[in-house]
Amino acid sequence: MFRREWLSGLSLLAAAGLSGCRGYQYGHVIKPSAENLVGSHEAGAEVFDPLVDEAVAKLLARQQIPTEDCPVGQDGLPIKKTICFIGIENKSAEDIGDFKDKLYNQIDSQILESNSFQPISRRMVDAALHETRMRPDALMVPDNMRLFTAVLQRGGAPVDYFLYATLTSGTTKRNSSTQRDYELTLELTNVHTGQYDKLSSEVRKGYHKSAMGKIWNYNPLKR
Amino acid sequence: MIRCAPSIHPKSKFAVRLLVVVASVVSIFGCSTHAKRIAIPRSLFYDGQMQACREGLEKLAKSSRHDRDVVNLDLAVVDLLGGQAKQAEARLREVRDRFDQLEQPSVAENTVSMWTDDQTRSYAGEDYEKILIRVMLSLSSLMHDGIDAESYTLQIQDKHEQLTERFVSTSGKEPTDYVPLPLGFYMRGMLREATHRDYDDAIRNYQMASSLLPGCEPLLWDLARVQKGVHSQPGHGVVYVFAMVGRGPYKVEVAERPTSDALLIADRIVSAVGPYKLPPTIAPIKIPDIVVPDSDVDSVGVQINAQRIGPTASLANIEELARKTYQANRNSIVARAVARRVIKKATIVAAKDTMGKKDGLTSLGMDIVGVAWEATEAADTRCWGLLPRDVQLLRVEVPAGDHVLNLSPLANGRPVGPAQQTKVRVNDGQNTYVISWFPDSRCVSQITCSTAP
Repeated sequence: MFRREWLSGLSLLAAAGLSGCRGYQYGHVIKPSAENLVGSHEAGAEVFDPLVDEAVAKLLARQQIPTEDCPVGQDGLPIKKTICFIGIENKSAEDIGDFKDKLYNQIDSQILESNSFQPISRRMVDAALHETRMRPDALMVPDNMRLFTAVLQRGGAPVDYFLYATLTSGTTKRNSSTQRDYELTLELTNVHTGQYDKLSSEVRKGYHKSAMGKIWNYNPLKR
Repeated sequence: MIRCAPSIHPKSKFAVRLLVVVASVVSIFGCSTHAKRIAIPRSLFYDGQMQACREGLEKLAKSSRHDRDVVNLDLAVVDLLGGQAKQAEARLREVRDRFDQLEQPSVAENTVSMWTDDQTRSYAGEDYEKILIRVMLSLSSLMHDGIDAESYTLQIQDKHEQLTERFVSTSGKEPTDYVPLPLGFYMRGMLREATHRDYDDAIRNYQMASSLLPGCEPLLWDLARVQKGVHSQPGHGVVYVFAMVGRGPYKVEVAERPTSDALLIADRIVSAVGPYKLPPTIAPIKIPDIVVPDSDVDSVGVQINAQRIGPTASLANIEELARKTYQANRNSIVARAVARRVIKKATIVAAKDTMGKKDGLTSLGMDIVGVAWEATEAADTRCWGLLPRDVQLLRVEVPAGDHVLNLSPLANGRPVGPAQQTKVRVNDGQNTYVISWFPDSRCVSQITCSTAP
């Protein structure tokens, strides 16, 4: 009996050994129509994509309204305003890691595709920051602004607007559940007049320690 | 002399012969350890004989399949210090990917290792090694093109989080020993600051590094600079001196008396394969342990153009990282060794049982085989052997152009060995990276620069 059990244990191990080859990692291409994964610990594409889409859409919609002082070209169409997208500042509670440059490119590309603005190349913006050694948050000081725009103009890129993007968050906690509100704010400043416009978009997200957390905290019948 | 009596049953003879053959075969795997095989190349390295060390390591990588990954890690360090950063990066990437793949357990290897020893398993790397691979990848990248350096710095944090989560899920304990490496945050902050744009990221990362090293003054200066100042003044660039200091952790074989936690884990393993229970006490077993040699150097003094700048500051205490993360997983290693011993003993008992009758001489012969089988077992001492005890850093802003850099080993702020000199080229508004290693009072290799004149 003793021997039989031992041998059966051995055969089980041997069988497991034969079938237990180390696995591989697999990948697949996600269809554009498929939904994003929802990050379990922090924001990901499911938060940032709608934030960018909404904020940029609002910005473009507002700027496309023609005004009296809007300069017009020889063909009678409004001249595109040159926009210098300085960068994204992350003031949220999370480190956005490799998303920062992706967000910059997403916003930049969407603005480029519009008919309202002509963005300045990021490489030119970086070169101007490098040359002037100015911090992005110091560009609104009049002297700094003049110097910075002069450097860009010298490089063949006159500037009409500065665009800053800021990512912020607000956290609400309730026992083991957390709600985090993510907000992307776009600030557009006219370098000629100093006037500024501000638009934002928001996505709220809940994080729970248990699968029932969502139902328990966001049950519409409860309130 | 023991003579086999003619009265031994033929079935018994066969069983004894079989066991002798099995024990001889498995002992082949268990008679030498990595620590012994690597001893000569390692001493050549610390003697500064880089070429001989490289040849020894390459020979070992070819001859010992199970050592190949750790030897590749050692070779990557030799490459990096020898100015072949691109080759170092390629080696490190290969091992990083392989260790990631080996995180999935192989039942086949685990089963075989229960009848031999842990050296028959593919080496999946210790947790501290997995983090340090990414640190070295960042350094290697910075030393040639820097294209992937930022990705590697992100991977340091990612890997740390993965390992912490895995530790919590497997042990059910609090991850108090899994403290992130400040150097990882620092390097990310350093790279973000160098964009002249993403100061917010630099602040965040320097704050993280500073919270892990609250007494580190240079970190506070860096933090103050990115909060209010700029990367460098116009016409200036920055030199980052990465100094590897001391001899780092490596593994040796020790005899260990199993703890109650380890016996509990071992009992689970043994119960899974047969109707056995662990004996209440068990003789000491052979396991690997981490040792870190003493060093007579504690920092590196930096001079530029004969002007004293200051000593480097520690941003990665590799000794502490290795000891803590290894200690956190030590019970599992001990448990495997205990389970292995019990399984081997049980196999001998089961083999005796197959003979059906109690024969004194046969039983003695099998006991001798059993003892020999256990004695051939050796601890798995495979590890990344060429690591420093500490990675230290100093940042200095200098005018763009060529400069003479002097590095000297310090103990309690005083030079304890000859200085090493090199020329560095600093570009306007950019970072220049310098790497050197002082395992003791003398540098083992030349100083390597990312932008040499």
